[in-house]
Amino acid sequence: MSGREALVLPLVDDPVTAPFWTGARERRVALQRCLRCAYVRWPPARVCPECLAEETRWETVQGRGTIWSFAVYVRALHPAFADDVPYTVAAVELDAGPLMIGRLDEAPSWEPAIGDRVEPAFEDVTPDVTLVRFRVIA
Amino acid sequence: MTEVATPVGGRAAIVGVGETRQGEHPGLTGDDLAVDAAKAALADAGIDKDEVDGLVTCLTLDGQGTDLAIGRLLGLNPAYSATLTYGTCNFSIHLAAMAIMSGMARTVLLTYGANQRTGRVDVTRGPARADFTEPHGLVHIAGPAALAFRRHQHLYGTTEEQLGSIAVAQRAFARMNPLAIFRGPLALEDYLAAPYLVAPLRRPDVTMISDGGVAIVMTAGDRAHDHPNAPARLLGMAQTASLRESQNPDNYLRPWLRPVADRVFAAAGVERVDVDVAFFQDPTSVWVLQMLEHYGFCGPGEAGPFVAEGRTGPGGQLPVNTNGGQLSESYMWGWLHVCEAVRQLRGDCGPRQVPGARVALHASTGAFFKGAATILGRDD
Ligand SMILES: [Zn+2]
Repeated sequence: MSGREALVLPLVDDPVTAPFWTGARERRVALQRCLRCAYVRWPPARVCPECLAEETRWETVQGRGTIWSFAVYVRALHPAFADDVPYTVAAVELDAGPLMIGRLDEAPSWEPAIGDRVEPAFEDVTPDVTLVRFRVIA
Repeated sequence: MTEVATPVGGRAAIVGVGETRQGEHPGLTGDDLAVDAAKAALADAGIDKDEVDGLVTCLTLDGQGTDLAIGRLLGLNPAYSATLTYGTCNFSIHLAAMAIMSGMARTVLLTYGANQRTGRVDVTRGPARADFTEPHGLVHIAGPAALAFRRHQHLYGTTEEQLGSIAVAQRAFARMNPLAIFRGPLALEDYLAAPYLVAPLRRPDVTMISDGGVAIVMTAGDRAHDHPNAPARLLGMAQTASLRESQNPDNYLRPWLRPVADRVFAAAGVERVDVDVAFFQDPTSVWVLQMLEHYGFCGPGEAGPFVAEGRTGPGGQLPVNTNGGQLSESYMWGWLHVCEAVRQLRGDCGPRQVPGARVALHASTGAFFKGAATILGRDD
């Protein structure tokens, strides 16, 4: 990557989303389930978009899922990713419900395909920020 | 979803269109370009600015184009004014039509101007925080479009050659449009030889970034003939606001556009076969592919063969984006599509004129959460 100031980083200390980022730092995928209607709020939200309740519980899930689609960035369209190209971004349908975006880790002799099963992987981008990626389930 | 019809029924009409040269305008702001376009549109409508009592402006990605700024530059104190952040022209036209039909204004000037090319505006990131997408590198509209197209390929067997037919068809039109920025030949072989930008999309699948201004004059239906050019009457308009965005299933495929299509055709009282020329706002070619299906010009999954057979190109059964669209003409957020639609209905499009065009459709989206469509028609 091309220097810390050039990175595109999430805000990890927003109280609504912080438990997700804390989980990622601890190598966990944490999702927020509504205590009233059981809807998984993704992205995390203070108020449930289904039932408007606030009460919530963070659950650690396995984080496995199925590739819904993926895009291969051959050109860096933002300078923050100039050193990363080519890179692959996938949309993964988690078994737990939400469609989550994440990088696909490369693996020997694996050409990704829609429908492939993947599991989470974790990348410490800075001491504070860990991103959830995905890799094919061997 | 409630099926709300908006039977504008010709009670508003476009009577003036104007634009600046497209490309690069060093030294001019987006507001300057909006003003220059406004002068051209007023001249086209044959009116003085004092006849304008409504102003609808469109905010650029970098925050230019407020009604306050444009009104001040043009010396306007209108009865009604507003600024939309997601113009794509359709939303602006609908707001102006509502102002006219409610009696809040009689003659509305609509403007958009951007200097995003020479101003080096960052078009890769959205205006809101996107903590769960952008840090992974999912930046620029080409990324989500690539996700959507690969999914389409998976579901329906659509090929890259078929997708390429869209950029090729639009370039064939652009070659006949002096306003277009990209006018060089583009054959399917050229398309396939182009490198990937975000695979499976190539450079010709993605809009250019350009400077320019566009403006439109709308007036009440009973005044539509008080102007030098034949009016383009609003026969129907419809929108959807899919504001739950990524919470909606298959949101990248925009399934929520289908009800907009049903509503706009019902409101206008025309059938799909009545559409002589169609305009699909096209930040990427994938939008055209999706909208051909959602607006019902072919069945789900059939847009690939539909475009590959040349049906949307010159001489096709449904000419699409006869100005060249944002892929070849200029990136004006759909505004130039409307200018072209009006000129097609006037019969002013020279070699790219669709013979006898009487009904035009303009469909657009605001990113992955809003959709709008307008049907325009000639009086005679
Ligand atoms: Zn709930």
